[in-house]
Amino acid sequence: MNVLELKDFRAYYGSKRVINNLNMAIKKNKITAIIGPSGCGKSTLLMSLNTMLEEAEGRTEGQILFNGKDVHSISKEEVRRRIGIVFQKPTPFPFSIYKNLTYAPIYYGVKDKKRLDGIVVEKLKISGLYEEVKDEIHGSALKLSGGQQQRLCIARALTVEPDVLLLDEPCSALDVKNTANIEKMLMNLVQDYTIVIVTHNLSQAKRISDYTAFMLDGELIEYDETHRIFTSPQDNRTKEYIEGIYG
Amino acid sequence: MMKRIKSVMFALWICLSFILTIASGSFVILYIFIKGFKSVDLEFLLSNPGGIPIGTEGGVFPAIIGSILLMLIAIVFASILAIATAVYIVFYCRSQRLENIADAIIQCMAGVPSIVLGLFGYSVMVVTFNMGRSLLSAGLTLGLMIFPFIQVRVEKAFQEFSRSAINASYSLGVSKVYTIFKLVLPQCRRDIVSSITLAGGFAMGAAAPIMLTGAVIFAPVPKSLSSPVMALPLHLYILANEGISMEKAYATALVLIALLIIINIFAMTLTLWRKEVKR
Repeated sequence: MNVLELKDFRAYYGSKRVINNLNMAIKKNKITAIIGPSGCGKSTLLMSLNTMLEEAEGRTEGQILFNGKDVHSISKEEVRRRIGIVFQKPTPFPFSIYKNLTYAPIYYGVKDKKRLDGIVVEKLKISGLYEEVKDEIHGSALKLSGGQQQRLCIARALTVEPDVLLLDEPCSALDVKNTANIEKMLMNLVQDYTIVIVTHNLSQAKRISDYTAFMLDGELIEYDETHRIFTSPQDNRTKEYIEGIYG
Repeated sequence: MMKRIKSVMFALWICLSFILTIASGSFVILYIFIKGFKSVDLEFLLSNPGGIPIGTEGGVFPAIIGSILLMLIAIVFASILAIATAVYIVFYCRSQRLENIADAIIQCMAGVPSIVLGLFGYSVMVVTFNMGRSLLSAGLTLGLMIFPFIQVRVEKAFQEFSRSAINASYSLGVSKVYTIFKLVLPQCRRDIVSSITLAGGFAMGAAAPIMLTGAVIFAPVPKSLSSPVMALPLHLYILANEGISMEKAYATALVLIALLIIINIFAMTLTLWRKEVKR
């Protein structure tokens, strides 16, 4: 089943077109990886999916369907709640870990202390942070390491119970161990969420994703099951990109 | 050789400037302290001015209270407007042009001489709005004077606030208002409070804006917003200018400076404290 569908989608910054006539459907409860060289429009595409592109002064044309409904017919807040995003650079709020995770639930009207505690513990467990931080839940989130901060941000995105989780190169600033932690976490999460991940790391795309999309200069060149993209790409440019990086 | 001379000259220049600044600053404070110290006692602080002409005897109690009240009115009025303006410019204004115009106007306001603001307050508030020469008119005029002072600093604090954290908040589907009140304002609180306190000190020391709008030579502690008030800077001006009592004038100056120093130390503590929290 398709959770997200793009039809004749185009994105602009000012008058500069960065994504050109893109058609794509993202399958439910799968990990979809978007790969491609820098500046090919991967991040722009990701940010368009939950209307965050507006905050970066960009604009879009064409259709984005979320569960069959045009995202522009749903309120911006609702779209963003149901399609969470985690950025490349970890962005913990300058609060305690606890307050980072209760920030959004309180906005959505959860007032009961026990329920809030429950959300905090549950999301920390999902993100594999619980054991590491359980004694300092009320300590500042800024004191965590980069990898822990990024997992906290993923946990925070999950506190609003989204359907889709978008990740923009979440591991690019992290070491191998933290990357492995996050990959493991994503593979567990995919049972309950649909995940779209932008990555520069081809082996990461190969390891964790079910589908892979290759983008070049604002166009979708090839989109297929991951093993097929990596073993028998149909388009020459995809082949060159994959081999270029390997070789 | 030439290079060496240059660097020595440069070092000398820096050292001398430093010494000159520190020395002249401390000299002013010390001089006023020595000149005024004798006359400042509890009675001076807590009694009304007396004697003929008024001010030759007694104290400055109504002026202390008047100055504090004027400052409070000014900071309440100015900070509400300033914070709201800064929020609008940083978070709501979509047009770069409007933003530039607003910034230019605020810069101009900051450059208006305080006596001109006093004249403005007189013609608009005292005469046109018929508010009379009162605590309220004078307080609002002072508020106008410190509004740009606070606005510029608060806007800077907002601009410096991590854009990515704000976007992270929006991306949770959280509204702008919630983001501003729960994320941005609490984190900028120390900056805001310290700029308000500094502005308060600035307002308290100004004589020109209140001369025409509400401060008078003698008045008891004001009973309402529409009563005229005494204020330390004007009292000081009258005592010295009319040659009433130089001794009392220095004492008044000492009280004013002491109040300003207390306010500044308070503001500095808040700023320092904030830096430590951030680390």
